[in-house]
Amino acid sequence: MTRDIWKHLILILGVIIVLAPFYMMLSYSFKSPGEIDRGVGGFFGRQAMMVDERCVKLRDPNRDEIAAAAPQYPGKTDSEIREAIMAQAEVDCSMRPVVFNYSKAFIEAPLLRYLLNGVIVTASIFFIQVLVALPAAYALAKLKFWGREAVFGLVLFCLLIPVHAIALPLYIMLAKVGLTNTYAALVVPWTISVFGIFLMRQFFMTVPDDLIDAARMDGMTEFAIVWRVMLPTAVPALLAFAIFSIVAHWNDYFWPRIVVTGSRDLFTPPLGLREFKGDADGSFFGPMMATATIIVTPLIVAFLVAQRRFIEGITLSGMK
Amino acid sequence: MAGLSINSITKRFGETEVLRDVTLDIADAEFVSLVGPSGCGKSTLLRIIAGLEDPTGGEIAIDGEAVTGMRAADRNLSMVFQSYALYPHLTVAENIAVPLRMRSLSAGQRLPVIGPFLPGSKDKRAEITAAVKDAAEMLEIGALLDRKPGQLSGGQRQRVALGRALVRSPAAFLLDEPLSNLDAKLRVQTRAEIAQLHRRLNATFIYVTHDQVEAMTMSDRIAVMMDGEILQCDSPSIIYEDPNDIRVAEFIGSPKINILPVELHERTLSLFDKPVGRTAIGAKAGVYQLGLRPEAIHLAKSDPLLTGTVAHVENLGAEVFAQVELAGQTARVTCRAAPAARDQLRLGAEIGLSFDLADALIFDADGKRQRGVEVTLDQPVEAA
Repeated sequence: MTRDIWKHLILILGVIIVLAPFYMMLSYSFKSPGEIDRGVGGFFGRQAMMVDERCVKLRDPNRDEIAAAAPQYPGKTDSEIREAIMAQAEVDCSMRPVVFNYSKAFIEAPLLRYLLNGVIVTASIFFIQVLVALPAAYALAKLKFWGREAVFGLVLFCLLIPVHAIALPLYIMLAKVGLTNTYAALVVPWTISVFGIFLMRQFFMTVPDDLIDAARMDGMTEFAIVWRVMLPTAVPALLAFAIFSIVAHWNDYFWPRIVVTGSRDLFTPPLGLREFKGDADGSFFGPMMATATIIVTPLIVAFLVAQRRFIEGITLSGMK
Repeated sequence: MAGLSINSITKRFGETEVLRDVTLDIADAEFVSLVGPSGCGKSTLLRIIAGLEDPTGGEIAIDGEAVTGMRAADRNLSMVFQSYALYPHLTVAENIAVPLRMRSLSAGQRLPVIGPFLPGSKDKRAEITAAVKDAAEMLEIGALLDRKPGQLSGGQRQRVALGRALVRSPAAFLLDEPLSNLDAKLRVQTRAEIAQLHRRLNATFIYVTHDQVEAMTMSDRIAVMMDGEILQCDSPSIIYEDPNDIRVAEFIGSPKINILPVELHERTLSLFDKPVGRTAIGAKAGVYQLGLRPEAIHLAKSDPLLTGTVAHVENLGAEVFAQVELAGQTARVTCRAAPAARDQLRLGAEIGLSFDLADALIFDADGKRQRGVEVTLDQPVEAA
């Protein structure tokens, strides 16, 4: 009994450590800048109306605008008109901090565009990875050919190469063929996943040979076997691989930062966070955390929806 | 439907020779069993026939056409696997339909979503559905068509595997120990059903098993394999009654045949130094082996050829098998007796056994059958 208590205490401590950053992220995304700076307001903040200084500043009228507005304010001096406009602007620009943070995230940074880029890049990477990994894994697991063990050894060797070590040569290659600042630059370097090949190969080893022989007797070609027999039986393993691949590339900051230098149209969601990196006038933590929340939400939702199958896939016990 | 000819097939895995010069001709519509202990190469031979394995040497012809080196898919053979090997993600109906879909639909027509709408696809799909239904009804699995293999019992899976094999008309059916994963009762039942299926389809069946009862009950011919060779290929009754080799005689028949050492000296055949018969002229003197089926040995009323004590009795109801420890010998012999003789066969009882030498099979010291050695009895052993 007491041992159970200790177990739970330790686990709870772990949970706190893991969840604390998420708590801060979510909390900051609700609060006003002042509350964030002073560290007050609890989880939700007071949600008092606040004025967006930049919004107000943007509506500061110049001479022509004052002149244009003059008929609405008869008998007032220019400075009185300006004050009236500014007062109106302050009313228009005041909002709840949560609305401020999240609307900033979508308006200031084209977050929808970034999310779309994220989906395009992550989905293409995963799709091509599967396209390459499944036949390769099938050949390594089930076909007999000269040098198979050596090839598999190379696959294992490639697992040992850290991405950052080859980033520079990769970048230079892409730059020489003129592919930087394209979707291709974001996708191509990741299309062959040795981890995927390795994982699927291990899974295919557990598929009985009889099943493949039966498929051959039924008239399937080797490629048909890969897509019609191996793919459906490998769904749990594929889901496990999907988590690793999608999480890694959705959250990747390093590689997009290197190959996407100019066009904001190609930014992936993590690059969007840079939009709120303050330079001179301090960081915008509220909108930044709102962006972060929006970026991680799809992954968390996807995991919750498919939780059971994901865990099945990781333990690779889905198939008997 | 077609005949099959296997011509001096050899197969080596590295250093080990699994098949040695195997030659076998199988006629159209024949049911041939390949039987032998595990590791004798029977499954390898079947896989070579199927095209799943390449032979090291030799040729295979189906219906007179050489198929050596041809892909399994192009040989028009069906195979039932020991593990059934059903596609776990497809329903029973889809499993059975696979061989037809792969052969009659084009690649485009097999595509999901758009496939069914391509020209010609609809008619072919209807044909396939009808064929699947026919096959399912023949095997009495019509009610299971929408289930997944995971939801079926072993016997049902086995039927689905059979259905997948017979849904198209292949040149021959290859069955690799299809009954070995079933329980004893179901095995007997399915055995009869497969034999019936063979008669109904009138197709060529090649059936691999290590179970001699399956081979005996279903086959037109049995090929007994051992150490990568076919020792003998004949009808079940010849295999049982007239084996060529002591290994065949020992493998077929349950309980096992009794082997007793005999000596031939100047035309006198003696068993444990006791003369039991005389041979015709021409047989070489030396040591021979006498094979006696349990049913060839009976209790002697007088003047027994063998005496011993009953060491173990198996009462099967309709018959009784007794293991008798021979006096002065370590060997045991098994004899079959009628249930009426149960009283005599108490454990430890001293009994006398006798046999008719005409029922005995004589093998030489190497185990080759000696048909030339004709034995006549010295004296009538038993009066009655």
